Amino acid sequence: MNRINPLYIGLSLLLIIVFVSYKLNLITDEYVKSKEEYRKTLSLAEELKSLKSVYDDKDRYKKSLRKILRHSSLKNSNIKEVKGTKTVKLSSDNMDKKAINFLMGKILNDTYQIKSMKITRLNDLNVSLEMELVW
Amino acid sequence: MILKIVKDHILVMKFKKNLKSIFLDPQLEYKTEDEKLNIILSPSLYWVKRISLPVKNTRDLLKLLPSIFEDILTDGVYSYYAYKLDDKFIVFAYNDKEIMNLLAEKGILLSNVANIYFSQTELFNEEMALKINDSEVLYKRDDILTLVPVDWIKEYKDLNLDLIKHTKHKVALHQFGHIVETKSLYSIGVILMVLILLLSSEYFITKYKQSEILDSKDEIFSKYHLKSTTFQNKALLKKYHSINKVQTNLRDYFSYILGFKLKDGEYIASMDIKNKKMVVKFNGLVDDRKTTLKSYLKSKNIPFNAKIFKDNIKIEVNL
Repeated sequence: MNRINPLYIGLSLLLIIVFVSYKLNLITDEYVKSKEEYRKTLSLAEELKSLKSVYDDKDRYKKSLRKILRHSSLKNSNIKEVKGTKTVKLSSDNMDKKAINFLMGKILNDTYQIKSMKITRLNDLNVSLEMELVW
Repeated sequence: MILKIVKDHILVMKFKKNLKSIFLDPQLEYKTEDEKLNIILSPSLYWVKRISLPVKNTRDLLKLLPSIFEDILTDGVYSYYAYKLDDKFIVFAYNDKEIMNLLAEKGILLSNVANIYFSQTELFNEEMALKINDSEVLYKRDDILTLVPVDWIKEYKDLNLDLIKHTKHKVALHQFGHIVETKSLYSIGVILMVLILLLSSEYFITKYKQSEILDSKDEIFSKYHLKSTTFQNKALLKKYHSINKVQTNLRDYFSYILGFKLKDGEYIASMDIKNKKMVVKFNGLVDDRKTTLKSYLKSKNIPFNAKIFKDNIKIEVNL
């Protein structure tokens, strides 16, 4: 009569079920967390990529600024350009109304990072300009 | 070492062969020690028949036994056993629970029961009737061993199981047969096993999906050229958000301020942006024009401070 008690086998099976359920619960929690983390990381990565492309594209800024400064509207403004590693400084002692409108229109309608700027009225038609852009 | 193992093995075999056998009968009393026993069931603990049926083997016969014993058995759960003797079958029906109860009543632990046999098979070859107790004798008639009163038999001898050689006809008691049928036990076992299998599969599938999602997360880091830690990336994102906020505000406020319609003699003397602060100086704004300007800026939700010097007003806006 040395047979294994079926109750012990049943209990063992139940214990295995409890153990596997517990492990399944743990891994499911981990999976849900990982999924959430994945979603957050993807969202962060896409947002970062989009902001980087807007504010951290030095080559595009360089090309675009060169094009603006060569424009005929700014020819008489005698804009000085001082390039640094992280910024570029633009200055003009005398700009007419048309030139300042053109330049500010181009700068403000693009995504240049304006670090500092000073526009001072000289008379009804002219202003002086100092501007520092980050690139 | 090897010799010792062989010696131990022989001892175990010897021990197995020399198990004590007892005749289990409700009328008898037992003095048992904590040792393994072979049990021989008294005819009062089972029903036996000698039958002839056109079946090929005992397995087929076992299926028919419940109906064969149907008329003589009382209510209860019974187990069945059969073997072939010459051209006939000897068939048995016994109540597991009844035998287990008797064992318990006689102080015999179920765990000490090595094998269970029927008197019919173990004492069949005895030529004389065997005296079981003061009132009963085990007597063979038409190849069936039965209990008869001692007065009916003239010649008999005492039962002695010391030198008995057991047959292969042993049975195992179904301890839970009276609660749940063996078939049900198997079904429950199978259901539990299937459940374990399903849960295990679910576990491995989830684990696989978990590792896949972790791999995908790593891929994001390389695809988007992210910094090695989330902390660094969050700090970088915070920095860009701050830049975006300042630059967006700068453009919005710039546009609103330039949108204020100036009258003759009014003009903007200077616009200054430095350290995330915008300062705009308006000149020539007389009387309520300064109030109009402030109302206009408020209507555009621009958070500003105003400093007034006669006809001039200086607007300071934090970006």
